[in-house]
Amino acid sequence: MNKVTGRIEEELRDPSTSPSSWTILWRELKKDKLALISLIFLGLTIVAVYGVSLVLDQKQIVRVDLFALYQPPSAEFWLGTDYGGRDVFGQLFIGTRNSLSIGIIVTLLTGTIGILVGLISGYFGGAADNLAMRVVDFFMILPTLMIVIAFVAAVPKYSIVSFSLIMTAFLWMGIARLIRSKALQEKELEYVKASRTLGSSHLKIMFTQVLPNLSSIIIVTMTLNLAANIGLESGLSFLGFGFPESTPSLGTLVSYARNPQTLEYRWWIWLPASLLILVLMLSINNVGQALKRATDARQRRG
Amino acid sequence: MRRRLGFKMLLPLMLAFMIGLSGCTSSKGNDAAQPDPTNTQNQTEGEKRQTEDGLFSIKDFSNIKTNEGEAIEGGTITYGLVSDTPFEGVLNYNFYSGNPDFRVLQWFDEALLTWDQNYVYTNDGAATYEISDDGRTFTFTIRDNVNWQDGQPVTAEDWEFAHEVIGHKDYDGPRYGSDFTNIEGMVEYHEGKADKISGIKVLSEKKLQITYLQSTPSLLTGSIWTYPLAKHIFGDMEVGNMLSSPEVREKPIGFGPFKVESIIPGESVVFTKNSDYWRGEPHLDKVVLKVINPTTIVQQLKSGGVDLVDSFPIEQFPDNANMSNVEYLGIIDRAYTYIGFKLGKWDEANKVVVPDPNAKMADVNLRRAMWYAVDNDQVGKRFYHGLRWNATTLIPPSHPEFHDASNPGIPYDVEKANQILDEAGYKKNGEFRTNPDGSELVINFISMTGGDIAEPLARYYVQSWNAIGLNVQLDMVEFNTFYDRVGSNGKDDPKVDVYQGAWSVGIDVDPTGLYGRDALFNFPRYASEENDRLLAEGVSEKAFDVATRQAIYKEWQQFMIEEIPVFPTLYRSQIVPVNKRILNYAIGDGTGVYLHQLAVTQEKPVVAE
Repeated sequence: MNKVTGRIEEELRDPSTSPSSWTILWRELKKDKLALISLIFLGLTIVAVYGVSLVLDQKQIVRVDLFALYQPPSAEFWLGTDYGGRDVFGQLFIGTRNSLSIGIIVTLLTGTIGILVGLISGYFGGAADNLAMRVVDFFMILPTLMIVIAFVAAVPKYSIVSFSLIMTAFLWMGIARLIRSKALQEKELEYVKASRTLGSSHLKIMFTQVLPNLSSIIIVTMTLNLAANIGLESGLSFLGFGFPESTPSLGTLVSYARNPQTLEYRWWIWLPASLLILVLMLSINNVGQALKRATDARQRRG
Repeated sequence: MRRRLGFKMLLPLMLAFMIGLSGCTSSKGNDAAQPDPTNTQNQTEGEKRQTEDGLFSIKDFSNIKTNEGEAIEGGTITYGLVSDTPFEGVLNYNFYSGNPDFRVLQWFDEALLTWDQNYVYTNDGAATYEISDDGRTFTFTIRDNVNWQDGQPVTAEDWEFAHEVIGHKDYDGPRYGSDFTNIEGMVEYHEGKADKISGIKVLSEKKLQITYLQSTPSLLTGSIWTYPLAKHIFGDMEVGNMLSSPEVREKPIGFGPFKVESIIPGESVVFTKNSDYWRGEPHLDKVVLKVINPTTIVQQLKSGGVDLVDSFPIEQFPDNANMSNVEYLGIIDRAYTYIGFKLGKWDEANKVVVPDPNAKMADVNLRRAMWYAVDNDQVGKRFYHGLRWNATTLIPPSHPEFHDASNPGIPYDVEKANQILDEAGYKKNGEFRTNPDGSELVINFISMTGGDIAEPLARYYVQSWNAIGLNVQLDMVEFNTFYDRVGSNGKDDPKVDVYQGAWSVGIDVDPTGLYGRDALFNFPRYASEENDRLLAEGVSEKAFDVATRQAIYKEWQQFMIEEIPVFPTLYRSQIVPVNKRILNYAIGDGTGVYLHQLAVTQEKPVVAE
């Protein structure tokens, strides 16, 4: 009862606006305890991973130490060492940072491209829409994973950036489709026509008026995409088509488990990374689901 | 995928590819090495003792299975071909090229001549031989009871026919090489100038005479082609069609102890006993060969899914050393791992090595310092638990007659390495040294991916060289790319300065195929007159005297340590688990244990506790 009153009061104080989408998102998150915990966990992980890996010396961590092969967890090596005598704990942090970075970069890049393409083709419609959608169709029927693998094999030296670009090239279509369909709906609304009649430029309408109205759907999609992209990177690295072994990532750590001896006798090498992937994915998804509900008034809990 | 090959299981693959010495692939198959002479006795204890620091020694392994219990009549065993790809299925000695096919072949076909522990031909096999006084003419007599599995006798004509097919201009297998051109009249026949090979004469149904152009000690250790080809089957076939014919692929024939009953291409083969085998009727009724993946090998062995395997990934051994239902056999592998330096180019037109005095690695002091800088003793102990160990010379101990055990090679000594570089004028500029003329020195090092140890091992070498101030850049590449770049097709990648490779050496000790001036496999592209002289002397007539030959190769081993076109890093061992129910089995050469004696003590394999 109290809460409802509070909300009404809040809205009454500023009667000119309905609650912004940010407020709604935040309210939904607060309501869903699991999502809130997930969000806090995610935030802490990101801060810890980026913070600690600033302090860690990557060169030192990937240094092969003949006298410390396969050490079980101890005071010196918190999570033991791998077959090269390298500290798994340090690799876990740097690996998580690398995997997260790729996930974030790819999500932002695909998001940007997808939004631009989707918005333009949805807003203008007609020939531009037709053309853009045929390009999207073309990319969509490509066997993405195969091509990414071929690319990775063909590029002699790849870094976080080039790897992200390769992945981006084949992952922007989904979001473009989504934004286009929403933009198609949106442009038929009165405010767009009114704004046009008042003489606003197309660019202004698209980016300052239509886009903000799509922001909630964008946030939701990108959050869920983030999980998918981290998963994809880990998968590729696991298969041996991601980072080389000298660049730790969650996928390379898990791929140690392909050796039956490691799987059976040396859990400390692959288990922490596997658990971390699981928990990270779950957290991102929890947050994403909560956000998704927030965009649909009928499903809201807050 | 990349990681799966490699030091773990790529060994057979890698070696099969790299076989440089013609003697090895061409005549005696791939699998052989010399048991340690002090330990040819059977070891009664199944479990291998591990020293306190967790190390094993190949000296504690026997190459012959302990026989415990009574053999039962008949029985069926399962043989695992360890590979993560299917076998190719070219099932004829005259045509096959991959090691996996060899593993299939050995069950149903064999060589006419056998050889002893020193890889010298003996008169115990399906044929016997006599040499003329000048050492060039060999007369072979095939035993009367040697028959093909379809009942036809193996004749001298079949043997001659094998030579004619391999020497034919349409022949598309890998066998034609210096062993064949050394036969009188072979080159003329190959070029189509003659209908017959003038040096090969069929004296009677079972007697064959071959005359060679040059008499060398290598002739007795693997340079004779001892695999006949059934003329009554292949006689009417075009030579170019043979490799793909069903007689090679689907219903192959031989004169070995077992015959092929059925084949599932690339996956498995069922053999039944050949009651007509010339040494006597085999004990076992049936042998099932199946391809098993290296990742499941331990489970398969424990559950009795396989009784025997052709090879066992060495890094899985320490964790499974006490597997209760198998006995491990071991031999010193006829192979070594090495670091090579690119010192020149391959002249494709003239098929010779052209050394380049301006090559980046041309200074022997630089190469020597790099050898001093790596601690291969510890590499063997830590990465391989002592089952690979520090290599000293380029003739591995699998050839005990010629391996110079008294030569210490170049031991690990970082101070010495720094001192050599300082004296040679490589001055430190910041973290790294420069060339004596002050220019920047960046050394590009490539190594193969594959197996868990490949990557940290290569990285360890880079670290060791960084530690003496050399700026070495590592590039890990997969197997095929690696050999392309190193120069297996004659086109050397100029961006490669140093590489880590491995060689399987032939049963004949002659290293000309790897270090000769006209050898494509001379990847360092090293040549010198002294080297030419020593290699030529090693196969000259005076080298028939073993002591002289030993002295020549002793000198050559020392010479290579002074010149260092490559330096050996590790010698290798081969470990093979065998189910406890198996009797009469051995690995290696000249053991006197043959496959027809193979027997079992119980119907089902022993299962691990």
